[in-house]
Amino acid sequence: MADEKAQKILEALGGRDNIIEIEPCITRLRCELEDGSVVDEKALKALGAHGVMRSGNVVQVVVGPEADTIASDIEDLL
Amino acid sequence: MSLRVGSPVAGRVVALSAVPDQVFAEAMVGPGVAVEPIRSKADVVSPLDGTVVTLHPHAFVVANADGAAILVHLGIDTVKRKGEGFELHVVKGEQVQAGQKIVTWDPAEVEAAGFAPICPVVALDASAEVLGDLALDADVVAGDALFDWSR
Repeated sequence: MADEKAQKILEALGGRDNIIEIEPCITRLRCELEDGSVVDEKALKALGAHGVMRSGNVVQVVVGPEADTIASDIEDLL
Repeated sequence: MSLRVGSPVAGRVVALSAVPDQVFAEAMVGPGVAVEPIRSKADVVSPLDGTVVTLHPHAFVVANADGAAILVHLGIDTVKRKGEGFELHVVKGEQVQAGQKIVTWDPAEVEAAGFAPICPVVALDASAEVLGDLALDADVVAGDALFDWSR
């Protein structure tokens, strides 16, 4: 279920209140968060993320070419 | 079966590990090469026959009927250009042929704006062993072979 995956990714990013902005870029979600430290990297990898890169409160989740779809599914949940 | 993947741009072919971006340099989304483009306004062409499955001004993916998908990314962090300086010639879902014009851009302008204009060309979700004949260190024009993808 696509929506379920989006929901789980959102939870791993700290939930909707933690999201300032999510922007898809072909293979990755660039997430600007209120608090980058709460991101559950293990959960994101279990959901199929190839990698997670943190730079303070900006966290990039490499999800592969479905990034655009996942980002719009997450937007629908915000 | 082997799929010949052509260069989307003219320039010097370098290893993907030379790209100043961890996702590409570590081949997180797949193996490939990168092209350091000639710094002048140019057309970017499709590396293979297929369908434009993803299309942004600064990046696109073309997938063929076998499911082989090639990602072309025009410069690093160029999503921040928000399309400025990129002129698209196709729409998402369009069938294209290898060598067909996809977008026009100017690597010199991208560089002047503070972005690395290097272009990763990635075989999405492939393993490194299936790519052969990488044209590393070669000078190519758009359409020249970059690598063969064993399918």
